[in-house]
Amino acid sequence: MSQKLTCVGKRITQKDVLLKATGEARYVPDVRLPGMLWGKVLHSPYPHAKIKKIDKSKAEKLPGVAAVITVEDAPKILWARSFRDMPMAPSGALQRADEYILADKARYVGDPVAAIAAVDEKTAEEALELIEVDYEQLPFVLDPFEAIKPGAPLVHDYAKNNMAVHLTPPPFLVKGDVEKGFAESDVVVEEKFFVSKQVACQMETQSCVASVDSSGKITCYSPCQLAHPFRRELGKMFNVPVGKINVINPFVGGSFGCRLSCHNEPICVLLSMKTHKPVKLVYSKEEDFISIDTRTPHYYTVKMGFKKDGTLNAMNLDVTTWAGGYLSRAQLAGGITLIWGLGHYRCPNMNGSCDVIYTNTTVAGAGRGFGNPAIMWGVEEVVDMAAEKLGMNPVELRLKNTKQTGEMANMGLPIESSYIDDCIREGARAIGWDEKRGKNKGGNGTLKRGVGMATMTHCSGAWPLLIEHSNAFIKFNEDGTADLTVNPGSPGTHIWGTLSQIAAEGLGIPVEDIYIVTGETDKTMFDLGSHASRSTYVTGNAVLEAARLAKKQLLERAGKILSESPDDLDVRDRQIYVKSNPEKKTSVANVCSQAIYNLKGDSMNISGKSSWCSHYNSIPTAAYFAEVEVDTETGEVKILNFVTAVDCGKAINPMTVEGQCEGGVQQGVGYGLTEDYVINKNTGAVESNNFTSYKMPGTMDMPETTKTIIIDKPDPKGPFGAKGVGEPGLVGVAPAIGNAIHDAVGVWMKDLPATPEKILKALMEKSPQQD
Amino acid sequence: MFRTLKPFGYFEPKTIEEAIGALSVHGAKAKVLAGGVDLVPRLRKRQAHPEYMINIQQIEELDGIIKETAEGLRIGALASLRSIELSPLVKKNYFVLHEAIHSIASIQVKTQGTAVGNLCVATPASDVAPALLVLDAKFRIVGPSGEKTVPAENFYLGVGQTVLQPNEIITEILLPKPQAKTGGAFLKLVRTAADIAKVNAAATLTMADGACKEARIAVGSVATTVLRVKKAEGVLKEQKLDLKVIETAARAAAEEVKPISDLRSTAEYRKETTRVLVKRALEKALERAKA
Amino acid sequence: MKKEIINLTVNGTLHEISVEPQVTLNEVLREQLDLTGTKLSCGAGECGACTVLIDGKPELSCCTLAMTANGKDILTIEGLARDGELHPLQKAFVECGAIQCGFCTPGMLLTSKALLDENPDPTREEVKSYLSGNLCRCTGYVKIVDAVLAAATEMNKGGK
Ligand SMILES: Cc1cc2nc3c(=O)[nH]c(=O)nc-3n(C[C@H](O)[C@H](O)[C@H](O)COP(=O)(O)OP(=O)(O)OC[C@H]3O[C@@H](n4cnc5c(N)ncnc54)[C@H](O)[C@@H]3O)c2cc1C
Ligand code: FES
Ligand code: FES
Repeated sequence: MSQKLTCVGKRITQKDVLLKATGEARYVPDVRLPGMLWGKVLHSPYPHAKIKKIDKSKAEKLPGVAAVITVEDAPKILWARSFRDMPMAPSGALQRADEYILADKARYVGDPVAAIAAVDEKTAEEALELIEVDYEQLPFVLDPFEAIKPGAPLVHDYAKNNMAVHLTPPPFLVKGDVEKGFAESDVVVEEKFFVSKQVACQMETQSCVASVDSSGKITCYSPCQLAHPFRRELGKMFNVPVGKINVINPFVGGSFGCRLSCHNEPICVLLSMKTHKPVKLVYSKEEDFISIDTRTPHYYTVKMGFKKDGTLNAMNLDVTTWAGGYLSRAQLAGGITLIWGLGHYRCPNMNGSCDVIYTNTTVAGAGRGFGNPAIMWGVEEVVDMAAEKLGMNPVELRLKNTKQTGEMANMGLPIESSYIDDCIREGARAIGWDEKRGKNKGGNGTLKRGVGMATMTHCSGAWPLLIEHSNAFIKFNEDGTADLTVNPGSPGTHIWGTLSQIAAEGLGIPVEDIYIVTGETDKTMFDLGSHASRSTYVTGNAVLEAARLAKKQLLERAGKILSESPDDLDVRDRQIYVKSNPEKKTSVANVCSQAIYNLKGDSMNISGKSSWCSHYNSIPTAAYFAEVEVDTETGEVKILNFVTAVDCGKAINPMTVEGQCEGGVQQGVGYGLTEDYVINKNTGAVESNNFTSYKMPGTMDMPETTKTIIIDKPDPKGPFGAKGVGEPGLVGVAPAIGNAIHDAVGVWMKDLPATPEKILKALMEKSPQQD
Repeated sequence: MFRTLKPFGYFEPKTIEEAIGALSVHGAKAKVLAGGVDLVPRLRKRQAHPEYMINIQQIEELDGIIKETAEGLRIGALASLRSIELSPLVKKNYFVLHEAIHSIASIQVKTQGTAVGNLCVATPASDVAPALLVLDAKFRIVGPSGEKTVPAENFYLGVGQTVLQPNEIITEILLPKPQAKTGGAFLKLVRTAADIAKVNAAATLTMADGACKEARIAVGSVATTVLRVKKAEGVLKEQKLDLKVIETAARAAAEEVKPISDLRSTAEYRKETTRVLVKRALEKALERAKA
Repeated sequence: MKKEIINLTVNGTLHEISVEPQVTLNEVLREQLDLTGTKLSCGAGECGACTVLIDGKPELSCCTLAMTANGKDILTIEGLARDGELHPLQKAFVECGAIQCGFCTPGMLLTSKALLDENPDPTREEVKSYLSGNLCRCTGYVKIVDAVLAAATEMNKGGK
């Protein structure tokens, strides 16, 4: 790509960020509609219970209460919080619809069983304590291995032995003969791992404001970042035409996976239907912890066999996915671990399996990185274990096995571009690998130091596993500015800024002249939504195509004015000029206004519209390097330095890429070291239900230095060469830390989070001679 | 689960007498409110159900003044954790208290929360309490029958329980003058920096003629209350302090504690790291006593 | 419960407000004064999203009964810019990429303001330490700390 870029590649702040600095940005909890009521949800205190009877009379009598609803009031139709209409390839199977808006039977502590609308929040909360539910407690099962035993309590009648689904890798990841492959390997490592139920911890709690007017029109303010699929689901749920529903995404206070589902929105809509008034429903942070989707946890075994020279010869993954009381995206989150894990390195013999098992626990769904952080924790630890056995430098061992451009990528398509080797080399240099690895450099007394690394490949959208469909519309205004209409939600990823930069570059006008129209399904065309690191890549390509079409129209009009062929014209600095004679020009504004206000009878609003479907998938790659200091007397880990080297194609906005990676480090440090979702074994209750019991890293827990290296080499398929980068930031953080801990003190951590308790125990079990 | 608080009556006494009067009338139904950092979230979580809230912040006789007296240092009941942390007097003469409060992460919590409030919550994980135990603090308490002074050591009865009656309030924290050649240190283990302790330890050592004249060690989060580990202290007394003696004392401390396993840590880990923290705190205190 | 009248000066304007005693300052700001820039996340003192400056000091509006703020001077995010001119901290947050979803931002900005009022020339470590009660899930804090340091530099240049 030899063209000179004027806007792509620049550190530009997305326009609306200003409103977040002044407090003007309104999030769902800040929305207030005239005559609005407040909603409140009653959650089951039991992990498994039949709801025999709900007496709502006392609550209804409380002055100010407008409605109390239970499963009796809800449509008798099963729905899927992660949306039925998302077809999954290759079978085209849909997400399973397995829940009612309010529970018929409580399947986890936190399952919504009733809801209230009242004049204010205080009254709604007071009424909550007046609802009398007659529960018949049922035997429950929390652990997936207990759940599949014959005779275990059944979470859903349809799922025998609580097995929601048994999955095998897609055909392109079942290769050769695994047993033979292991037999012919010189070093075989097999280890068991557990990755925890990380909570999104988005700062804005789950909220909804819904309004159903007399015509039946539903307006739903929601943070759900799959606005169009969500609208379709709402339509099916309430048997309402999709055109009668407007899903509005105002500002969204973080997602990290949890906004891929809808949660209390259907309840809020139902309350509004019953009361004929707008209703606002805002969860407390505790409700968030117990009742919105967490990252999906898994137990798994990684087995990898290597030849003496380090060539990966065989690999097998057996995954047990610990789903909650409803399936949400746990099925995909489970299945896709096989794709990430088996698809990362070149390997002639491989196979795997994944069982997805219902339990009476909080629903597990999507989490940033979607299964990739989970499986790469184990895979990258096993690679380091093998390196130790082979006597090889882990950097060299990885370089030996990374896939290159043209080879088959994780999703079964050819790799469009991969600069993973550059990531590994540049990251290693930045952390000081050669000087530090295995040398306890700077360690002192009980404080031992080490460095470790990990790698990953991810995706830009989920094609060909999911449809990848986005739309963009660009229209020029009279003054030469342009409106860009798109609809990926923006939970803080600055996607609107990125798309504006793509549009500006494509149109040849300054980014200040691009105005985003977004956030409402009424105003926008279909977009699958923000997930799977897809928006820059898929919506971005849609925007680029729309820009190409709009620019074509613009130059055609300009050609008439300048009496030149459109092919000889181009746009720069708000001017359209003749390429061979730049002095001959007219302004974009002039062309646009003449096109709109025009007495010749050929008025037009210059515009471009594109429906984009990806038929390829460019993979971002990355390498992560951690330098840690471990206190051998307390097991505490301090992260000194962290380096992420990321190959996300051309960085449309390096500041945004850094931001995504730095944020990923925070989440990865939490995943690796501190975040632990604790469920009481006797009651099924969530004990880690606030920020005091569930610890995510704060300012002081972050590495002393965090560096992001952007390889910045364009991909042939992405818009201006960009690939996705929303999720990669987090994927390899925990394993890089885990491997650094081993370098420092010689113990392998296998279960997340790797707490000081576990590290100290491992150190004490390790025989002293090994020191 | 909740976001709003349940209704209660509110009273802003202007004198201690009025406050005690109100508390005496309402008994256990009333609650003293200081900074509210502990109490307000507990109201929201429906873990406390007072019918009356007695805000003591407007009482004219109460203040947040930190000043030197003939006996030592006096800290008013309304002194915020932050003002104590920043006090030059505290930094100079009672460094272990500064260090303890410094270990509490949130500036907002420290700005709003009082030290007395922290003590009254009576969590065994308090960082303030171990420091006050090794500084030999006393609390001035006023009730219907007048005033009394209770040593910090005798204040705690159990988790969330103290000798304080529902109709009594603490008016001051009193610290004796530090002895010459005394050094102190506070250490804490946490899950993330902004966390209450898994284990904490405070120690002061007073040296004379190269031997330990007095040793005080207090630990938190390893029993139902913060506590002095007196056997460990006994190991040090009158001894020349070398690494071996310190290690013996640290082991004794670990023997004296009765930790449990909970969300934050395991009993095993707490016992082991009590030894480590006590050892390190003693080493640091010794260094500072010598300085 | 009986309502009481309190006086709050919020962003320089005196408001006479009638509240029930259990109402928090957070609710008064958000629900009565429609100053929704002050957020509520944990409601338990753990996250700092609800931070406002009370008489210049950073406090948690979720842990403060409105009654106890009677007569006090309160600064919320809406009052940080003066006469349409952004505070240097706001400018720096916007320019340095310190804002992603923005939900922690009002609390971060006000806590940072308190820091710079107290310590106009902080070190990186001091900034981290002062912001340790403010959680952010998006940014990894790196650019937030950068922004505070950039604002301090700007203000010390006399750019105030
Ligand atoms: C996020 C967070 C983190 C924290 N981290 C730490 C930490 O790391 N280490 C640590 O030690 N603490 C920590 N704390 C606890 C904090 O220090 C206390 O909650 C705070 O100091 C309580 O003081 P307050 O003035 O706000 O008390 P309030 O909440 O007003 O009152 C607390 C209790 O004390 C009683 N009380 C208050 N004053 C008096 C008085 N004068 N006489 C009689 N009774 C009185 C009240 O009735 C109430 O029962 C943390 C708290 C939070 C919210
Ligand atoms: S909302 Fe007040 S500290 Fe979290
Ligand atoms: S920017 Fe999203 S929480 Fe901080």
